[in-house]
Amino acid sequence: MTETLENPLVEGLKVRRTPDPCVFVIFGASGDLTQRKLFPALYSLAYRRLLPEKFAVVGVARTEETDEAFRDRMESAVREHARDPFRDDVWQGLADGMRYVATEFDNDEGEEQLSRCLAQLDEERGTGRNRLYYFAVPPSAIGTIVNELGPRRTTPGWVRLVIEKPFGHDLESARDLTKRLQEYFAEEEIFRIDHYLGKETVQNMLALRFSNGIFEPIWNRQFIDHVQITVSETIGIENRAGYYEQAGAIRDIFQNHLLQLLALTAMEPPIDFTSEQVRNEKVKVLRSLHTPGPKSVVRGQYGRGYVEGEEVLAYREEERVAADSLTDTFVAAKLYVDNWRWADTPFYVRMGKRLARRETTIAIQFKSAPHPPFEEASTEGLKPNVLVVHVQPDEGVSLAIGAKVPGAGMTIRNVHMDFLYGGAFRTGLPEAYERLILDAMLGEQTLFTRTDEVEEQWSLVDAIIAAWRRDRPAFPNYAAGTWGPVSAEELIQRDGRAWRRN
Amino acid sequence: MSASTVLEIERELAALRDASSAPGQAPNQRTSVMTHLAWVPGEWEDAAEKTLAGLAEQHPSRTILLFPRPDEDDELEMDASVQCFAFGDSAVCAEVIRVRLCGERARHPASVVVPLLIADLPVFVRWRGMPEFGDVFDEIVDVVDRLIVDSTEWPDGKLEHGYRELAQRFDRTVVSDIAWERTERWRRELAGAWPFGAREISVTATRAQALLIAGWLRSRLGHEVGVEHEPADVLTSVYVDGKAIEAPPGEPPPPSELLSDQLERFTRDPVYESAVRAAGE
Repeated sequence: MTETLENPLVEGLKVRRTPDPCVFVIFGASGDLTQRKLFPALYSLAYRRLLPEKFAVVGVARTEETDEAFRDRMESAVREHARDPFRDDVWQGLADGMRYVATEFDNDEGEEQLSRCLAQLDEERGTGRNRLYYFAVPPSAIGTIVNELGPRRTTPGWVRLVIEKPFGHDLESARDLTKRLQEYFAEEEIFRIDHYLGKETVQNMLALRFSNGIFEPIWNRQFIDHVQITVSETIGIENRAGYYEQAGAIRDIFQNHLLQLLALTAMEPPIDFTSEQVRNEKVKVLRSLHTPGPKSVVRGQYGRGYVEGEEVLAYREEERVAADSLTDTFVAAKLYVDNWRWADTPFYVRMGKRLARRETTIAIQFKSAPHPPFEEASTEGLKPNVLVVHVQPDEGVSLAIGAKVPGAGMTIRNVHMDFLYGGAFRTGLPEAYERLILDAMLGEQTLFTRTDEVEEQWSLVDAIIAAWRRDRPAFPNYAAGTWGPVSAEELIQRDGRAWRRN
Repeated sequence: MSASTVLEIERELAALRDASSAPGQAPNQRTSVMTHLAWVPGEWEDAAEKTLAGLAEQHPSRTILLFPRPDEDDELEMDASVQCFAFGDSAVCAEVIRVRLCGERARHPASVVVPLLIADLPVFVRWRGMPEFGDVFDEIVDVVDRLIVDSTEWPDGKLEHGYRELAQRFDRTVVSDIAWERTERWRRELAGAWPFGAREISVTATRAQALLIAGWLRSRLGHEVGVEHEPADVLTSVYVDGKAIEAPPGEPPPPSELLSDQLERFTRDPVYESAVRAAGE
C-alpha cells in the first residue's frame, strides 16, 4: 500500500482565488455594455493580477471589425471608463489575447469560425478549453446562440454562461428560456447576472445584519414600523426606447434589482454563506411576498419637466416611443412579506426614471420611543430612528438618532451618524462587474440569481401586470424632475406615513 | 503648532478637523479603523514618512509617529496634522500625530502613547530598524495588538539574536515581519516543487530572507537544512540541493502594499513563528 504524503510546505500560504485558465467570449461585443462595463472591469482585474495567467477574450458581434480595430476601440473604452490609471504593460497583457469574430448569431459558418478561433487560442495561450460565455445581447438572441453553442460545447473543460437581464419578459418566457438553456447546460453553469448584487453596499447589508449583534434582535415587526426602498434615476431612457417600451419600470427595475434588495433586507440568516444557502433564504422571502391588490400598486409616466434646471422631454416625446405609449416609467408599491418576522410590516418601494434625484437606498424606519418623558414641544419635529443603507451614489450607512440641542432647556433634534464606505476603507471600491465576472470565472454563484428566484420574481410581476390590463391610465401623470405621481404619495399617506424626503 | 500635553493635542486635532471643512458645509468625518504607531529612530525618519504617504489613503486612522531622541534634553514635543481626502460632497480625515520623545521621555513611551490611542480599535506598531529588546520595546509591545518589523533592516550579524528575542514575545503580541512576507511568493514556488530532501539550500537574497526560508524549511520538514547565502537586495534565486527553483511570476509588491496587508490581519501565524524560532537556532 502506498501512503500519500501531505505537502508540509503548503500550510499557512495564503489561498489566492485565481480562476482557471479560460477564454472569455462576449456575444454583443459591439454594444455599450462591453465598452462601458465589461472591458473596464476586465482591465481592473488584470491591473490587480486577479485574472488567470492564461487568458483570452473573444468579442463576437454582427458588426464587421478587425482584431486590431476591436483592440483599439476597447483601449479607448478602458482609458475612458476604467477606475485605474492606464498602464501599457497591463493593457498589452490583455490585448495580446484579444480576438474578434464578426457573425450573425444564427450563422453556422460564423459559429464554426468562432470554434476555430477558440481552439486556436487554446493552443496558443493554454486556455485549457474552459469557456465563459457572456451574453450581452437582447433576450431574443439568447436562445439562438444557445442552440449553436450547445452542440459545440467542448470537453473536457468547463463552460459557464453569464446572462444579462432581462431574463425573459414574463414567467412563461423565463421558463422557456431556462428550458432551452437546460437542454445543454446545467443550473451550475448558468449565471444570471443582477449587477446590484455585485455592489459592495448590497453585500454589506448581509455583513451589517449578520455580523452585528445589535441589529438582528430588532430586525422584525416588533421594532420596525416599515421599510422604504427607493431606486430612483434622473436620466431618461437614453436611446433604449426599443427595450424600454416593452419593459417599463416594472420589468427594468422592480422584477430584478428591487426585489433582490427587498429579499436581502427581509431574509432570515442563512446557515452559511454558500451560494445554495443564501439563495434558499432569498427565495423564501420572494415566495412569501403576497400579491398586492390594485390599490397597493401605482404606476406613472413622466411628462415634460426640469431635471437639474434643464428642461427635458416627456416620455412620449422621446425618440422611437409611441405618442400614446402606456409604458410605465415609475412604479410604487406596498408589499408584505407574509412570515413570522414581518407579518403586517409594510415594505414601501418606489422606482422610476426622471425623478428628482439619483439614489438607491433601503431605509429601515423604526417605531417611535414608546413614552418619551419630555414635553411635547421639546420633541417637536423629532422623527423615529431610521437606519439607511445607501447603495448609490455614496455607498454607506447612516443612522438617525434624537439628540439634545446644547443649551438651557430640553430640545431634541434628529442627528445623522454617517458611515461612508469609502471613508473607512479607502482601497477604492471595486465596480460590481469586476466582482461578478471574477466570481463567474471561479464558478461561485452566491451573487447570481437562481432559476427559482427568477420565477418567483416573474410570478409577482405577472400578477401586477395582469391587473393593469384592466384599466387605461391617464399618462403622463408626473412631471420629470419630481418624486413621481400624486397617487404614490397617497399610497403611503393612507397609512399615516410619508416617503422619506431624501 | 506644537503641544506638550495630550489634552492640548486632542484639542488641536478637533480644531484642525473643524478648520479643514469649508464654511457652511458639513464637518469632515473621522472614520477610524485602527491606531497605527510607528517607532522611528533618527535614521529611519525619511523612509517612514514615505511609507506613511502611501498608506494614509488606504487606512485612514490615527497615526502616531514616535521619534525617540534619548540624547537630547528632557522634553516632550508633539504636533498634529490632519490629512483629508475628498469623498463625495464631504471629506474624510486621517490624523497624524508626531511625537518627539527627548531625554528621559524616550524611556517611558507607553505613558505618552496610551492616552492617545483610539479606544476599542486595534493598535499596530511598525518598529523601524532593530529593536533593543529592552524595557522601552517591551512597554510598547504590551500596549499593541500587532508588532510589525522588517528584519531586513537589522544588521546581518545580529539577526539570529534578534529572532531569538522576537520569539520570546510571541505570547505577548502578534508579530509579523515584512522580510518574511517578501518570501511568500518564493515559498509558494517551493511548496509547488516539493517533494525534495532539502539538506542544503542556497539563497540569493538579504541575509534575513535566507535565514527565514531556511528556518521555515527546517520547521516544516523537521530536519536540519544547511543554508548558503549569496547577498542581494532582493530575493532573486533559491536552489534546493543544487536544483534551481523556478522564479515566481510577476513583480514583487511595493512596501506600502506589504505593510497594508499586515494591517488587515489580526491573528497569530504559527508557521511564521516556527520559522523564526528555527531561524534563531
